[in-house]
Amino acid sequence: MNPIVRRQLAGPLCYRRSSTPLKRAAAFASVLILAGCASLSPDGGSADVQALVNGNPLMAGTTAQRAPDEASQKSVDALLAKPLDVEAAVRIALINGPRVQDAFATLQLSDADRVQAASLPNPVLSFSRLAQGSEREFERMLSFNVVGLVTLPWQARWAGQRHEAAKLQAAQSVLMLAADTRRAWVRAVAAQQSVVYLRDAKEAAEAGAELAHRMAQVGNWSALQRTREQLLLADASAQLARAEQAAVASREQLTRLMGLSGARASYTLPDRLPPLPQAAPELGDVQALALRDRLDVRSAQAQNTAVAGSLGLTRATSVINAMELGVVRNTTFDNDADRTKKTKRGFELDLPIPIFDWGQARNGRAEAQYLQSAARVRDVGVLAASEAREAWQGWNTAYAIARRYRDEVLPLRKKVNEEMVLRYNGMLASVWELLGETRASMLAVNAGIEAQRDFWLADTDLQLVLTGSSPGGMTAAQTASASDAPATGGH
Amino acid sequence: MNRRNFFAGAATAVAATSVSRVAMAALPEPVSQGSTATAAPLVPPNGRPYNPVVTLNGWTLPWRMNAGVKEFHLVAEPVVREMAPGFKVNMWGYNGQSPGPTIEVVEGDRLRIFVTNRLPEHTTVHWHGQRLPNGMDGVGGITQPHIPPGKTFVYEFTARRPGTFMYHPHADEMVQMAMGMMGFWVTHPKESHPLIDPVQRDFCFLLGSFDVEPGSATPKVNTMTDFNIWSFNSRVFPAIDTLNVRKGDRVRIRVGNLTMTNHPIHIHGHEFEVTGTDGGPVPRTARWPEVSVDVAVGQMRQMEFIADEEGDWSLHCHKAHHTMGPMGHDVPTMIGVDHKGVAEKIRKLVPDYMVMGDKGMADMGEMEMPIPDNTVPMMTGTGPFGSAEMGGMFTLLKVRRDQKPGDYRDPGWFKHPPGTVAREVPNANMPPATRKETPAPSMKNSSPDATVRKPSGSGAHNH
Repeated sequence: MNPIVRRQLAGPLCYRRSSTPLKRAAAFASVLILAGCASLSPDGGSADVQALVNGNPLMAGTTAQRAPDEASQKSVDALLAKPLDVEAAVRIALINGPRVQDAFATLQLSDADRVQAASLPNPVLSFSRLAQGSEREFERMLSFNVVGLVTLPWQARWAGQRHEAAKLQAAQSVLMLAADTRRAWVRAVAAQQSVVYLRDAKEAAEAGAELAHRMAQVGNWSALQRTREQLLLADASAQLARAEQAAVASREQLTRLMGLSGARASYTLPDRLPPLPQAAPELGDVQALALRDRLDVRSAQAQNTAVAGSLGLTRATSVINAMELGVVRNTTFDNDADRTKKTKRGFELDLPIPIFDWGQARNGRAEAQYLQSAARVRDVGVLAASEAREAWQGWNTAYAIARRYRDEVLPLRKKVNEEMVLRYNGMLASVWELLGETRASMLAVNAGIEAQRDFWLADTDLQLVLTGSSPGGMTAAQTASASDAPATGGH
Repeated sequence: MNRRNFFAGAATAVAATSVSRVAMAALPEPVSQGSTATAAPLVPPNGRPYNPVVTLNGWTLPWRMNAGVKEFHLVAEPVVREMAPGFKVNMWGYNGQSPGPTIEVVEGDRLRIFVTNRLPEHTTVHWHGQRLPNGMDGVGGITQPHIPPGKTFVYEFTARRPGTFMYHPHADEMVQMAMGMMGFWVTHPKESHPLIDPVQRDFCFLLGSFDVEPGSATPKVNTMTDFNIWSFNSRVFPAIDTLNVRKGDRVRIRVGNLTMTNHPIHIHGHEFEVTGTDGGPVPRTARWPEVSVDVAVGQMRQMEFIADEEGDWSLHCHKAHHTMGPMGHDVPTMIGVDHKGVAEKIRKLVPDYMVMGDKGMADMGEMEMPIPDNTVPMMTGTGPFGSAEMGGMFTLLKVRRDQKPGDYRDPGWFKHPPGTVAREVPNANMPPATRKETPAPSMKNSSPDATVRKPSGSGAHNH
């Protein structure tokens, strides 16, 4: 800490404040005007956020709700009455989800900070009463932080910039929520679809095991053969149980994002994922698109500007970061016989003396912060471009894989099944081979669903990456392989 | 049953291939056969006369006389053999078919056989059972260089002893025989022979086995035992022509075995004698009556009998699997397995599913269900009384009093004289056999039969 030397300027040194120079008055007035303008925005800046995210493909044509009202709750109920498609899920999350309200509250906080920063510092009234023998001294001082006043425009501008950044961040949060909801919806529907097919696969194993049991009962099969079929059933059952758990978990994830509870949580999902789009979209230069449109890029840039602004402030206040100017009126009563009363008037200036701290550290810190923020801008830029390339590639790969399943694997699987039926008809293959093939088919269909799911996840990632923010730890392949393991461990 | 006219083969005739005459100037024109029908016997146009044979679903190779030498031209080549209508197999054969044409010569004939190789790999021809100079025996690498693809070799020898023979490659033999390279050879006696009786009907065929995956068309050449196509002259029942004879005819049936297992050939309704092997005519004192003769691998047997019982008599290999078409040898026995509840469940998953085999496999012969392309049902063929439930090495000997001499046409189904067909006993009132209520003893865990005993002392089997 700077040693602060308090110099009492009194008596002869004290001069009466007579006339204020015009220049000062003008500056003061402008500050007042500025401070007067910095009022809390009625919506905490949410309208600006809406403007930032409106028209984003992730938004499903809806606007995020700052606080749920009765009308919006009615619309949520209306959406929940039907099987919930992905747009409806996003809408509900944006109306009802706690995360969106959290984002807006955060934004409102930043708005409050902004207004706070642009508010004139309050004058400080100090009063002291001192006694010495019969003397009583009353000291009254009205002081005002002059530096605060002088730096107010900077503070206000900086806080404004920070609020702008906060808006971009809130917009990102909204888009993230939309994207997360989309992903959760895709996962929940796919998982539910998987359960249906794995249930069929289990049923095939069940039929095999039951027949095997009857085979053994009438003496056609040994314990070894029967047990093998029972093993398949046990395996299929375990797989189904895992898939059912995955379906519950992914559905609950969606429920949480939509902020639903109670009876509302028993919504129905459609039976299947939407079909694949006809063709890959023509996107042009995805990197340029991401660098231009991504909110986190814009946010980093805005933050950088704000830091740059604060650099000026720091420079200005590096040497003298506190100056208090106070008007002092001292009255001394002497309670002796003549009861004299003396009044001293003057002013008091608190000024740190730059002996030890010449502000180098503060300046260095500000510069470092600026460099840090510039580095972050670059980092976000590199990230955005790289993620755009990756997401675009991921989209294409996921699309190709999903199409391969749709156009090749599943039709071929079906053909294998048909051929196996023919072989069964010709007594060339047993019913167990037939059931085994059926089971394999169900697993292939399941893998096809997963490929379709991964495509829609990659699609959401791509949209978020291009127009929203970093999806964070994406790569469709990783998600796929990670979630593949439990659901389709058998194939 | 899709029976072909015996004379269809004669009508489609023998067509010259498009090989250049200049290139073949010194060779007899190669003759190719496109039909799988049984060709009419080839009455010898020149040379010593003989009583020709009929090759079941096959034909006899024509020859030309060149300065007193009988010249034949065999072309080894890839062919597509129709083993049954709609079931075509990529094989290797001779002159358009597998098996190749029957070569008929007369004892003492001087022979020159040109062999052109149109296969993708070298080959040779071994004249199975012939007395000939060692260098004409056709064992590639041992007695002669292999015939490379595109080349023509010539074999020259004299047909020294009468009898039943065959020819096949002795080069990459395993593959080439698995692909159907084989042919029949008959050497007729030049004059009346004390051990060879004249016959009115003389049939010949080769036994062949192939492993053709249902739905595919090329035999698996590496199969050793688990064949699924069992054939007479590369045809399977009901596509094998019947042996049609006149009542009272002396009939000779010559069978050669080029499979990798033995085949007990069984004829219904008559007893026969084996009058010859590939070693020659059997002395009369060594003949005994039989109704089945086991033809071992690589052997030939010549059975003779008087066809004196009218009717449609089965003629088949007595190995039950050999009178079946392709089947899944790993398909477990389903007999007695109750499908109640399970069948519905399976049908939900596989709508075309039908329960089969729970009462036996006769279902297969009766149900007309789609099976893989380019294969034949495991058992098929219907007679006047229903499903024959047969396939593979099975045909009929049809004996009719009104079959004209020399007429090999199929006379149709036998018209049984009244009262000569097995019939139901009316009001017998015997309850049908039902499934045993108690499981077999081996299935009861408490039963001592099911407990494993260590092979020690007198309790164990004495091996």
